[in-house]
Amino acid sequence: MTALVVAGLSAREMSRRWTALLLLISLPLWFYLVRRDLAGQSTRMLTLGIGWAVSTLTLFVVNAARGVDPRLRLSGASVADIIGGRLIAMSGAGAALALGYWALAGLDQDILHPWAAGLMMLVTALVAAPFGSLVGALLPRELEGALALLSVCAVQMLADPAGLVAKFMPFWSAREIGTYAIDGGSADMVWRGLGHAAVVWLLCAGVTLAVFARRLRVARYPEP
Amino acid sequence: MTPRPWLHGFLDLCLLAMLRDQADYGYGLAQRLAAAGVADVPGGTLYPALLRLEQQGLAEPSWAPSDAGPRRKYYAITPAGQDLLAAQADEWRRFRDGVDSLVGSPEVAR
Amino acid sequence: MSDWPLRFEEELVRLGLQPERARRLSAETAEQAGEHGTDPGRLFGPAHLYARHLVTELQATTVTQPRYEAGPVMLRLTGVAKRYRRRTVFSGVDLTVRGGEVAAIVGANGCGKSTLLRICAGLTLPDSGTVHRTRRVGFVPQDGGTAGWLTAEEHFTLFGAAAGMVPRKARSTGTHLAARLAWRPSPGQPVQQLSGGTRQKLNLVLGELHGPDLLLLDEPYQGFDQGSYLDFWQQVRAWREAGRAVVVVTHLLHELRNVDHVLDLGAVGGER
Repeated sequence: MTALVVAGLSAREMSRRWTALLLLISLPLWFYLVRRDLAGQSTRMLTLGIGWAVSTLTLFVVNAARGVDPRLRLSGASVADIIGGRLIAMSGAGAALALGYWALAGLDQDILHPWAAGLMMLVTALVAAPFGSLVGALLPRELEGALALLSVCAVQMLADPAGLVAKFMPFWSAREIGTYAIDGGSADMVWRGLGHAAVVWLLCAGVTLAVFARRLRVARYPEP
Repeated sequence: MTPRPWLHGFLDLCLLAMLRDQADYGYGLAQRLAAAGVADVPGGTLYPALLRLEQQGLAEPSWAPSDAGPRRKYYAITPAGQDLLAAQADEWRRFRDGVDSLVGSPEVAR
Repeated sequence: MSDWPLRFEEELVRLGLQPERARRLSAETAEQAGEHGTDPGRLFGPAHLYARHLVTELQATTVTQPRYEAGPVMLRLTGVAKRYRRRTVFSGVDLTVRGGEVAAIVGANGCGKSTLLRICAGLTLPDSGTVHRTRRVGFVPQDGGTAGWLTAEEHFTLFGAAAGMVPRKARSTGTHLAARLAWRPSPGQPVQQLSGGTRQKLNLVLGELHGPDLLLLDEPYQGFDQGSYLDFWQQVRAWREAGRAVVVVTHLLHELRNVDHVLDLGAVGGER
């Protein structure tokens, strides 16, 4: 299927950009190490780092494809194939990253509910992909996009989790599930987190699809 | 002698006609053209034209030794060349008659 | 001028001829000069100039062009106009291109040639007028349009998949089309490492990979050197013979005798 081919080649393309890849993948590690002494802070920072890395990676991939996408459309691909394929690739990469870092945190730290920590990282990675796509769709230049992502990350980090602003942040789910994973509490938090994540995912993926459906529009002319 | 632009469209025609009469090599064809009063065709125009005919299958090359020693490349017309020549000759006659009728008598202008 | 044949042969190879053929032509040319009892430089002039002249002459065809049977209409523009902000880029554009025909869109820079081509492709809509076009179309942009980090073969797979081709078929088709342009893609080489001329060959192959009936080319020989530029018109001839319609945006006017229709956007109505 077209989407799978697009996904595979997207992944291959991404894997060739060694330097960027290395920097982005190691970023969560720096976040983690800075707060290593505290189980809670370190895992949260790690997760946030994962979210930022995956969304930035997706941003770059989406922007790099700008020249190719219209041509793929003219060759017969649908917008869903193109966008979906990329999303699959980035989600897969994000999941792999989350898995790796979950293993690290699990071994290195003493976590109350380790499976929840894993869920938190996975969910963050999966939400980060369409979020990065959306930013890439709306902000065509990489610098502006990267700055926007940076701002979101910063607000995410600093906003009071109980406040309203935090709930509008895309990675709020990470905080919710994370709090359960580290400090325990009602399992409702996990459900709330998952629900928020699902909503964010649908919103980002949906708007991205809509933006690209408009931008990659190819006129259907009648035959002569 | 015929000026260059006039000749350009008809060089191939003349070459094919000469080859139909008799297969020849480059220098020989150049001499026959000059003798016919058509043009003094420089080598840089003649040889590419011959190569073009060969490329399109309108003339067939063969080599034979010359009296002086070095071999010469002879051209002979092919059936495809005959066909094209016949068609071109018709067009040329029509064109020639048309131009003649316009240029011929000055009185006709009124 | 004892090295005239050598310089001649070198220039021929540089212009894109196969070395074997260049050697034969060089030997023959020396013999031709022998027929006149003079040396090649005297008869033909400077070696590199005659080489170029010869190659150009060999591209031409004898007195009449073989007339290809024009096929069905592949593209029809009627009264197409495009405005940008307040000003009219062009208006009243009419063009009909049939299978086996070649149309050239010419005009000064900035008169909207690329925009018109994008309208033909369907990437942009005209502000007025109608466009009728066959469904299968290939588009070759002026630059960009490729993914720098992927190799040529991966591009074949990607574009092939978009057209519904299985990866293996896409790769073999792509390789075959590349060979027609005298190019053998290196397996592991990312496209951004290719020279400009080779990248344009890739663009051409990607444009025709899915066998479109209409080809739209935007300044396709940017980055070609003289040798590869000559290959391009042979490729156009091959498309003609296959019954495909070709529309080329160009600012180079001296090859227009190969073309059936010329649309001059500078001359068509448009206020500045």
